[in-house]
Amino acid sequence: MSTELEYVLWAEKYRPKSLDEVVNQAETVQRLKKFIQDGNVPHMLFAGPPGTGKTTVALAFAHDLYGPDYQRYILELNASDERGIDVIRTKVKEFARTMIVGKVPFKLIILDEADNLTADAQQALRRMMELFTPTSRFILIANYPSKIIEPIQSRTAVFRFTPLKKEDVISRLKYIAKNEGVEYDEKALEAIFDISEGDMRKAINILQAAAAGGEVTVEQVYKVVGLAHPREIREMIKLALNGDFLKARDKLRKLMIDYGLSGLDVIKQVHSEIFKSDMDLSEEAKVLIADYAGEIQFRLVEGGDDEIQLNAFLAWLTLLGKKMSIQAQATR
Amino acid sequence: MSIAVPWIIKYRPKNLSQYVNQEEAKAFLSAWIKEWLRGGTPSKKAVLLHGPPGVGKTALAEALAGEFGLQIVEMNASDFRRKSDIEKVAMIASKARSFDGKPKIVLLDEVDGLSGKEDLGGVEAIIDVIKNTKNPIIMTANNAYANQLRTIRTMNEVVLIELKELHQKDVLEVLRRICEAEKIFCDDKALKTIHERNKGDLRSCINDLESIGRTYGKVTLDLVEKLLPYRDRELDPFETLRSIFFAKYTWQAKSAAMHSQLDFDTLLQWINENIPVQLTEPENIYQAYEALSRADVHKGRIIKSGSWDLLSYANDLSTAGVSLVAKKEKLKWIKYSFPAMIKMLAETKASREKLLSAAEKIARNVHVSRRTALAEFIPLIRVIYRLDRNKAAYIMKSLNISPDEAVVITGEQEARELLEKKLSELAALAKKREKTEKTSKPESKGYKPAGQSRESSSKHSRQRTLF
Repeated sequence: MSTELEYVLWAEKYRPKSLDEVVNQAETVQRLKKFIQDGNVPHMLFAGPPGTGKTTVALAFAHDLYGPDYQRYILELNASDERGIDVIRTKVKEFARTMIVGKVPFKLIILDEADNLTADAQQALRRMMELFTPTSRFILIANYPSKIIEPIQSRTAVFRFTPLKKEDVISRLKYIAKNEGVEYDEKALEAIFDISEGDMRKAINILQAAAAGGEVTVEQVYKVVGLAHPREIREMIKLALNGDFLKARDKLRKLMIDYGLSGLDVIKQVHSEIFKSDMDLSEEAKVLIADYAGEIQFRLVEGGDDEIQLNAFLAWLTLLGKKMSIQAQATR
Repeated sequence: MSIAVPWIIKYRPKNLSQYVNQEEAKAFLSAWIKEWLRGGTPSKKAVLLHGPPGVGKTALAEALAGEFGLQIVEMNASDFRRKSDIEKVAMIASKARSFDGKPKIVLLDEVDGLSGKEDLGGVEAIIDVIKNTKNPIIMTANNAYANQLRTIRTMNEVVLIELKELHQKDVLEVLRRICEAEKIFCDDKALKTIHERNKGDLRSCINDLESIGRTYGKVTLDLVEKLLPYRDRELDPFETLRSIFFAKYTWQAKSAAMHSQLDFDTLLQWINENIPVQLTEPENIYQAYEALSRADVHKGRIIKSGSWDLLSYANDLSTAGVSLVAKKEKLKWIKYSFPAMIKMLAETKASREKLLSAAEKIARNVHVSRRTALAEFIPLIRVIYRLDRNKAAYIMKSLNISPDEAVVITGEQEARELLEKKLSELAALAKKREKTEKTSKPESKGYKPAGQSRESSSKHSRQRTLF
């Protein structure tokens, strides 16, 4: 139990430190190791869904390239957190300004969520990549490679990351559970995999949350997943379906302000909520909602305002609720 | 005959009882000034009076000064472009008291007249003055929600007071009072028409009354209808919305947006706020939002691509699109509300900032974006806290989360004490460990390889101190 003092987030604790520890994405890992052997590293683009190991592989690559004190040689940026390309440029410039003494003649710049940059910002990024090539290499990380402009794609070695296989996720979860002295039910680990859909980070987070309550059982897994979702999401959906748009809008505001959720987070959580088995909705209604939720998510990605877009969604949901109750009365 | 003083100055209220209506504002302001008079500096150092033109913002500041016999130092915000003037006001404001020991009222008129870009320095100068003042500051603005006022509006030292549009009753009372004092005949219907033409703008009403009364010695409906021009001015937010929702033809809705005080962004927020208040049918609410949502997407594309010629499409949808839907309903006359999100964001700034700073720490630690930290890791810690508070506390400690941040992460006040307790326990433990390490060092050195032994022996000692 002495480990309790060092109790930390498992997602970080069990992140593979070197490429040898990465069990998935075998081809990618192989190619990367070759780069290190040859000492010839191109600019790279890591693309794939969340939790498939993009950041992990980037960090492990840096570790294997520079050794244990690799942090000194890398700059980690997250495009969705930096305020615009100018801020990124300033930080990159500052970082790449100094040459390094050592066996590797360049530094590494890891730019996460690069697909969040606008097309203009990506053009600026492309020029930056050319400008700093003598001293630095870029690893761009993106969920949607199609949102990275052509000129950048053509200047990078592109690596595709695929969702993790079930047996790999489960064996990792078992390893962690064993190491942490956590009792678990096999079925619970399968439930975790189902919920996380191949997203390793999410899977580990669910395991850690469930383990905080003792033994990891199927019920416990669903319980913590329920707890992690603000209950306001479901309340908001229900209020709208019952025709109370104004109260639903109040819930939305609470979610955005108290939980700091973005519009995208809210619409994604709505999507996962409606497909839960205890959600009292017809199959047809679920599909209709998913369709319009997808439309709203697209509008948000196009640059729509969080509250306006979600209000439009809630107004639509209110209307759907009304139509459904009329239908129900007619059939009765 | 004495030199004619314009009625607008001649009949300015000398004290609060002569000032009609706005009872809430009056009550707040006199309590606030009394606080200053007691000799302290209240935590709220400045007031931002806002409301439509001619509603009596400046007059209220002057009536307040008259009521308490205070000197007033007035400056129009457009003067904030001149450095020497800024310095003068800043100096007066920061000086403690005048000779009589009373504070002075510093009046900054029309602060929304500063333009965001050219007068950036002006906004900063005002912020500085507010921070350093030892005297009450009153600012006035037509539109407190103008973009350039965002920083001033959200300062902790600033209180927003809205002056409501004057009712016909109040306007007529003032006009009648003036007619009596000037001994001229005033037809009630004429006064009502003056009020209608000026939409609650008392200043224009008095000017109109004077322009007819002085020349003709009487004010009749006949004269008013013949002589009074319609004033062409910008529409305030309420008028803008009314014109959009009540438009008979789509061009009226479009023109309302064009002549509005609100910029496009803020107009979207106002429409967003008021659609479900003005409309009642779910079908219509949805359709209006759909139009607004599409307008908003156009706006997003404009920002991303820089193609400003898309703006006209966005405009069409948000005005004409919404008004077409509104035509399907019999509309009620309602009081429109300020966009709640703007207010809520301002009010919850402090706790949201803590949440963000916590997210920032987590993001750096686990190599994700702040958004992911907010959406995935903060809920995780919250769940762990509910199941095992100690574990959550250790995680937060490992992430360098402060006790204040722990409160916003967990949503529980007790999280603060818990984390504080853990932190002090750990500090004590670390000290103890250092001691035991020192004493245990010599004995372990003999038979174990140096590097490992220290680690394992310290682990043992840790266990001993724990149990």
